[in-house]
Amino acid sequence: MKRILVLAATAATIATAMPATAADLVFTSWGGTTQDAQKIAWAEKFTEKTGINVLQDGPTDYGKLKAMVEANAVTWDVVDVEGDYAAQAGKKGLLEKLDFSVIDKSKLDPRFVTDYSVGSFYYSFVIGCNKDAVDACPKTWADLFDTQKFPGMRAFYKWSAPGVIEAALLADGVSADQLYPLDLDRAFKKLDTIKSDIIWWSGGAQSQQLLASAEAPFGSVWNGRMTALAQSGINVETSWEQNITAADALVVPKGAKNKEAAMQFIALATSAEAQADLAKITGYAPINLDSPKMMDPELAKTLPDAQTASQVNADMNYWAENRDAIGERWYAWQAK
Amino acid sequence: MVSQTETGSGRPYSPAQVRRLTDFDLTLPALGLLILFFVLPVAMLLTRSVTEPVPGLGNYAELLGSSTYLRIFANTFIVSGLVTLVSLLIGFPVAWALAIMPNRAASIVFAILLLSMWTNLLARTYAWMVLLQRTGVINKMLLGMGLIDTPLPLVNNLTGVTIGMTYIMLPFIILPLYGVIRKIDPAILQAAALCGANRWQSLVRVLLPLAMPGMAAGALMVFVMSLGYFVTPALLGGTSNMMLAELIAQFVQSLVNWGMGGAAALVLLVVTLALYAVQLRFFGTNRMGGR
Repeated sequence: MKRILVLAATAATIATAMPATAADLVFTSWGGTTQDAQKIAWAEKFTEKTGINVLQDGPTDYGKLKAMVEANAVTWDVVDVEGDYAAQAGKKGLLEKLDFSVIDKSKLDPRFVTDYSVGSFYYSFVIGCNKDAVDACPKTWADLFDTQKFPGMRAFYKWSAPGVIEAALLADGVSADQLYPLDLDRAFKKLDTIKSDIIWWSGGAQSQQLLASAEAPFGSVWNGRMTALAQSGINVETSWEQNITAADALVVPKGAKNKEAAMQFIALATSAEAQADLAKITGYAPINLDSPKMMDPELAKTLPDAQTASQVNADMNYWAENRDAIGERWYAWQAK
Repeated sequence: MVSQTETGSGRPYSPAQVRRLTDFDLTLPALGLLILFFVLPVAMLLTRSVTEPVPGLGNYAELLGSSTYLRIFANTFIVSGLVTLVSLLIGFPVAWALAIMPNRAASIVFAILLLSMWTNLLARTYAWMVLLQRTGVINKMLLGMGLIDTPLPLVNNLTGVTIGMTYIMLPFIILPLYGVIRKIDPAILQAAALCGANRWQSLVRVLLPLAMPGMAAGALMVFVMSLGYFVTPALLGGTSNMMLAELIAQFVQSLVNWGMGGAAALVLLVVTLALYAVQLRFFGTNRMGGR
């Protein structure tokens, strides 16, 4: 989910990368603080338990993944991808089926389980606001799209992915249960009304920076980033009204060299304890239903898990079917 | 081998043979590496542009028939042109000053120039972000001085891209220009003055024409480099200032549509090679870098 700029993450990777021997497992994610957390909560535990060394690579790059599979030279064993991509890539034959005799899916949130993927962690798009920078904070998606009542720049996620289109439709009065199939014409028309007031963020760190500096005092951001901003002492407000959930997923590329170890790794990563550990560090929600019980109640309160009242689930299957068509239209609209 | 050459009758190779070896053969290892790891993969990607998703020129028809993509092409040329122009306007006086400065002062300016070139590109680009944003240093200063009432939009738009890229390109125009201007005999300017030319006339009618090869070579180089630029426009530009390189990255990485990615890459490659041909035709390889 974090398309942190390729260069930054690559530099970090090169520093730690060593040639993988056959026994080493290669885990690929998006770099930055989330991958650091995955390393601590999952990879180090996995090595402790199995003796299998885990090498970190990144950032996730769908072009690279496809190239590896096509050339039958797969060097990644477990990859953290966006949920909608996982659903699509599985159907395209780019992924191995997961072995659910190794991975216990009975305790996993069924929203994020497919034949080819399980959730990595999940998050919500919420309305974040820097209280010190504005007189009033937008509470609803309609507020965020109202430039009269809430003048100023607003931050939105730059890439074609579940979240922004849903927000536009909700703001335009579509009810949550009528969202899918997405009315793209209507969504883009609504987005047109605020297009010149949008600053696009391409990675989580940038969204934090935009809000903290009040370059864009409010916007649609991942909930974990609001937790991080609050921890760093910034006076922020998070509105969970109709928070839109989406998830990262763990997948195994077709032809991965260490398939068995990859299944074991995913089994550990999705276990209650490992999921709770990751959530503690990142502020994103665990996809194992037993994890919240293992967490500090104060912390559990800040997770999307505790905000289900008006929660809206992005439909990953719909996105998987329409990912390419929406993507092309999305980028064409942005470039206009 | 060593003993053979030393004990053999005189030199193992005639001078002519040695010269022939330096001409082309010595480039072979590098050439082989490039062909294997650069030319071949690029050719494979380009092949996909006429084979994916169906064989034919469909990708090119879509690319050149869509107003969105044409706008991105136009945008790429506008940004590159603007960057080249501003780089020339700023770079020429700097190169001139460098050429007539005392050596010690010049070496300090050179050090600053090179230091900026050696600093990480991302770091420099982020620095511009901090400087230019609405709540950034420049806007705060102008607001504080009462010169403006509302912050100027300096970033996430064409202004931001132009500033950021010009800054990065400046050394590439200053260095060749410096080389050319340095070679101009100062006596020529004195002669112009003696013949009654005022300062403006000696600049426009003597110095500029003499510096023209350096300016043209530098400008072309900056233009061509700008055409393929990725990081700076991605960070400092808005989505409506998208450039070709970003479009290619989007096709390859996000949409995983390699047919379209290959087509866009070929268009960029053809334009770049055409410009390079112009450069070769008019200035030759030895003028590059201002020698």
